[in-house]
Amino acid sequence: MSTQDKPKKKKVKVTRNENGHPVEVEIEVDDVDGPSWGPRAGHTLVNHDVPRVDGPVKVSGRAPYPHDIRLPGMLHARVLCARIPAGSVRLDLESARKTPGVEVVLDLEVKEIRWLGQPVAAVAATTPEKAADGLRALAAQFQAAGFAVTPEQALAPNAPQVTRRGNKGKESENGDAEAVKAALAAAAGTARAEYSLPVQHHASLETHGVVVDYSGGDEARIYASTQSTFGISEDAAEPLGLKASQIETISEYMGGGFGAKFGLGIEGLIACRLAKLAKRPVHLLLTRKDEFLAAGNRSGSRVVMEGGIAADGKLTALRAEIERHGGIGGGSHARQPYVYSVEKVHTKSYPVHTNTDGSRAMRAPGHPQASFAIESLIDELCYAANLDLLEVRKKNLANPTYARQLERVAREIGWYEHPHRTQPGRMDQRECIGIGFGVSTWGGGGGESCEVDVRIERDGSVTSSVGTQDLGTGTRTYVASIVAEEFGLGMDGVTARIGSSRLGNANASGGSTTVASLAPAVKNAAWKARMKFAEHLAPLLGTQKELLRFEKGELVDQQSGKRIPFAKACAMLPNEGLQARGTWVADLAGNGIQGAQAAKVRVDPLTGRVEVLKMVCVQNCGLPINRLTLRSQIFGGMVQALSYALLEERIMEPSLGLQINPNFEDYKLAGSLEIGEIVAIIDDEDTREQAIGVSEATIVPGHSAIANAVANACGARVRHLPLTPDKVLAALGKV
Amino acid sequence: MKAFRLHNPRTIEEALQLLEPERVSSLKTAVLAGGMDLVTELKEYLAQPDDIVNLKGIEGLSGIEAEPGGGVRIGALCTLARLEEHPVLQRTHAVLTQAAASVASVQIRSQATLGGNLNQRPRCWYYRNEESVCLKKGGTECFSYGGLNKYNAILGGGPSYIVHPSDLAPALLALDASVELVSRKGMRTVKIEKYFTLPSEGDVLRETALEPGEILRSVVIPPQKVWMRSTWLKFKEKSSFDWALSAVALCAVTDGKTIREARVALGGVAPVPWRAKAAEAALANAPMERKSFEAAAEAALRGAEPLSQNAYKIPLTKGLLIRALESLAG
Repeated sequence: MSTQDKPKKKKVKVTRNENGHPVEVEIEVDDVDGPSWGPRAGHTLVNHDVPRVDGPVKVSGRAPYPHDIRLPGMLHARVLCARIPAGSVRLDLESARKTPGVEVVLDLEVKEIRWLGQPVAAVAATTPEKAADGLRALAAQFQAAGFAVTPEQALAPNAPQVTRRGNKGKESENGDAEAVKAALAAAAGTARAEYSLPVQHHASLETHGVVVDYSGGDEARIYASTQSTFGISEDAAEPLGLKASQIETISEYMGGGFGAKFGLGIEGLIACRLAKLAKRPVHLLLTRKDEFLAAGNRSGSRVVMEGGIAADGKLTALRAEIERHGGIGGGSHARQPYVYSVEKVHTKSYPVHTNTDGSRAMRAPGHPQASFAIESLIDELCYAANLDLLEVRKKNLANPTYARQLERVAREIGWYEHPHRTQPGRMDQRECIGIGFGVSTWGGGGGESCEVDVRIERDGSVTSSVGTQDLGTGTRTYVASIVAEEFGLGMDGVTARIGSSRLGNANASGGSTTVASLAPAVKNAAWKARMKFAEHLAPLLGTQKELLRFEKGELVDQQSGKRIPFAKACAMLPNEGLQARGTWVADLAGNGIQGAQAAKVRVDPLTGRVEVLKMVCVQNCGLPINRLTLRSQIFGGMVQALSYALLEERIMEPSLGLQINPNFEDYKLAGSLEIGEIVAIIDDEDTREQAIGVSEATIVPGHSAIANAVANACGARVRHLPLTPDKVLAALGKV
Repeated sequence: MKAFRLHNPRTIEEALQLLEPERVSSLKTAVLAGGMDLVTELKEYLAQPDDIVNLKGIEGLSGIEAEPGGGVRIGALCTLARLEEHPVLQRTHAVLTQAAASVASVQIRSQATLGGNLNQRPRCWYYRNEESVCLKKGGTECFSYGGLNKYNAILGGGPSYIVHPSDLAPALLALDASVELVSRKGMRTVKIEKYFTLPSEGDVLRETALEPGEILRSVVIPPQKVWMRSTWLKFKEKSSFDWALSAVALCAVTDGKTIREARVALGGVAPVPWRAKAAEAALANAPMERKSFEAAAEAALRGAEPLSQNAYKIPLTKGLLIRALESLAG
C-alpha cells in the first residue's frame, strides 16, 4: 500500500508581495505532474456522503426507464417462449397475422427446443394486449420430447440427452487425492457433508429488453435496459441492416442487471428484426414469466465436501466434489477452499446439464456457492473439534486483513458475550440465538476504456460526459462529483451526462469494474480541464498557472491572494469555452478487496421461524468515491444474500417440465419485514488512494453467515438453502 | 386477458338480473368486487368470462354495523383495510382485525373486500400455472398429490389438496359467523362452517356453497360471550407479503386460570377453514398452562395426513397453536 501513498504534491518558489516587500517563499502546489486523489482529509465530495443526483427523478417516477418509452407509431412485442423443456413446435402464423392489431409475426424457425423458455416466435401489435392475443393465436402445438429439468433427472440412468456432449460435462480436477486421504486420517476432527444451493434469479425490477426507434431509413436509436451501452449498437447493426455507427444506444436509466444484461440478447435481436419488418418502432421488454424462464440465473450447486482440522485449529485437509447446475450452460463455482488456506486440497468440478435456461453472470459469479459450502464445513469442523468459530477462521486466512475485519464484526455482533462459541446451542433453551460468520473477496479492478469529456462554458456551467450506464450504483453521481471537487464546486455546479453511445466510450458494468475504470478517467478529465483553465487564466491574471487554486466556488491566486468567483473566472475563457478529455490512469485504480460479515438470528424451535436480527459487514475498497452509495451497495449485497438464505429458489416441476414459480408471488424475495438491523462499516484502515469496485464482494458471505447462525442457535444444520421452516423443522428432528 | 363486457349495476337487484345462473356456472359471467383475485385470474387466462358484473357501484354493502343483541354485520364490499382499522372490532374481535391485517400488502388491503377474500380461488401453483391442467381446472389429476406439495393440505384433502387461501375465513369460523346469500329467489343464511366445502363433499371445481347466480351480501357475527378473548396467528414464509403456511384463529372464554371454552380454527392446512373440534374439547375447562396447550395442539393435528413434502406443517401448526394459547394466557 505504501507505494501508492506517494503524494504528487510539489513545492515551488514564488515571489510574494508582503507588506509592500517582495518576498520569496516556497509554497506547496497541487498535483501538476498528473492527477492524484490526494490525501483523504483533503476531499470535499469524494469520500463523503453525496446523495444520488438522480434520486429525486427516480423516486418520483419521472426518470424514463426503457420500459417507459412511448414513441409515435410504436408497436408492442411479445415473445413466445417454449412451454416445454425439449421437443419441437408447430406454429399457426396465419391465425396470428389475422389477429386484430397484430402487425408483424416472426417465426424464429427453431427446429429443436432444447430448454424451457427458449424463444420460438414473436408478435408485434398496436397494444401489449393485442400482442398477447397474437401470441395465443399462434396456437403453438408443442410436441414434447423426453427431458431433464432437475439434476436428479439428468443424472438418472437412461436420462434423455440434454447436450450433445452429454448431461455431465467435462470434469476439472485439482490437487492430490492421496495426500488429502492421509491428511484426513491424521486430522483431530473431520466432517463430511453435502451442501447444495438452488438456482437463484437476478430478479431485476426491470425485465430484459429494448425499445427500438426505427422507422425505415438509415438511422436508429435503441433504448436499452443494459449493463453495456456500448455493447448494443454493433449487435443491432445486422438485424437492422445498418452500420453500428448509424445506431445510437441510450441507457440513461435502467432497472437493475446484476450480471444478466450484457449485449443485445435474443429479446433485443427479436425487437430489431420486428422493427425492420414493420418499419416502425418496437417496444419489447420481457414479461415477468419470460424473464424467469429465459433471462438467465445464478447456477445452483451440489457439493460433497470432507474436511479435516488439527487440534490447534489449522485446516489440514479438504476434499470437494462440485456439481454446477447451470441448465444448458456451464454454471460457475469458485475454487475451493475459497479464500481459506488448507494444507492438502483435492477438488473435482463439473457441470450437470438440464433442459433449462443457461446460467449467466450474477453478482460475484460462483462465489456465494463456494462460500456456503466452505463456511458451513468450517463450522461443522469447529464443532467436531470443540474449537472457536472465529479463531479458527482467523487462523486459516492468509491475508491479515481478514483477521482484523473479523474481529471488528465479532465485536459489533456481540460474539465475545455470546455463549455458543465452540458448540451450538440446544433447542430446549428459552431463546435460541445464534451467530455465524463469513468472508469474501473480489478483484474490483479496472482498465483502459473510458473517455470522459469535461466541458466548461463561459457562463460557468460545467458538464461531465461519458457514455456509461448507471445500474443504480451511483455512477452518474460520481461522474459529476469528482469534477465538482476538482473545481471546488458543489454538486449543483456540475451536470453529469451519461447513457449514450454518442458520448465518450465506457466499459461494460460487470465484475465491479465500473468505478475502477471510470473514476480515474473522470478524475483525469477534471484534472486536465483544471490545468487548461489555469494555463489560460494565469497570464490574464498575471500569475503562474501553478498558483491558481479552485476552492469553495472561487478561483484563488495564491500569489496575490486574490479570489474570483468561479463563474466570473469562466467568463474569461475563450468564446468556445474549454474542453478536456480524460482517459484511464492506472495509478488511480486498484484491485483486490476483502470483507467480513456476521449474522445474528433467532430461531423459534416450535415453528422453525428464522428471524435475522442483525447483520454486520466490514468491507474495504480502497478510496470510497461516495460513502453513501458505497454503504448502499453493501446494504444491497447483504439484503440479496439474506433473501437467498431465507427464501429464494427456482422450483422446477419434474413431471410436467415447468418452472412452478415464475412470478414474484411464488419466487419469494425478502421484503422489509425480513430485513433486520443491517450495519455496513467501511473499512477505513484500507488507506489505498485507489478506486476499486465493491459491489460483488458484498453479496458473497451473508447467506453462509445466516445458515451458520441458525445451526449455532439450536443445532439445526440446514445444508440446502433456503432456510424455510420445513427444512429447519426437519433439521431439528421434528419432521 | 380476453376482452369482456363490463356491467356496473347500481343496485343488488340489477346485479342479480345480470347473473344468469347458467352463465355463471359455465364461467361466462364473473362477479367483480375489489378485483384482487379476479383480475389476476383474467391476466393469467384462468378466467375468460364474456361478461363481468362489477358490484362496487352498489351502495350499502360496505358497512360495519352493530346488530341488536351484540352481534356485528359487515357488508361484503367492506375493504380489509377498513376492517383492520376498526377501533371497536380491534378490541372486541381481535381475531378478525388481526386476520385482516395479515393479508398481503397495504395496497391490496385497501382494495380487497371481505366478500372477495372469502370467495377467492385457490393459490395452489398448479392451479395458477396456465400450463398445468389440474383437477381444479377440469383436468383429471391433482398434481400436488404426487408432486410439489409443500404448501398443500394436511387435513381434509382429496381428491384435491388445495388449502383455502382466505385468512378471514378461519377467523370468522372461530367467531361462529354466517354469510347472507342473495339470489333472485331470495335470501338464505349459511354458517361459515357449512359455507366452505371439501372437495370430497361436492363440486371439486368450487370451494364454497355459493350457488351460481347468488351474491354474498354480508357477514353476520353472533354476539360473543362477555369474557371472550381472541387472537390470530399466521405463519408466513415471507413475513412481508405471503399466504399462510398455517394459521390459528382462537376465541376463548377464560377466567384467568382456566379456559372455560374455546373455538379453534386453522387456516392454510386444509381445503376449507378447518375447525379443530378435538382441540376445543381438550381445552374445555383445562387449566391455562403449557401442558393443556400441548394436549390441545396434539388433538388439533390428530388425523393429519401429510403428503410427501408438507409433514412440517404438523409441528408448525402445533407450535402456532401453543404460541396462540400462550399469548391469550400472556
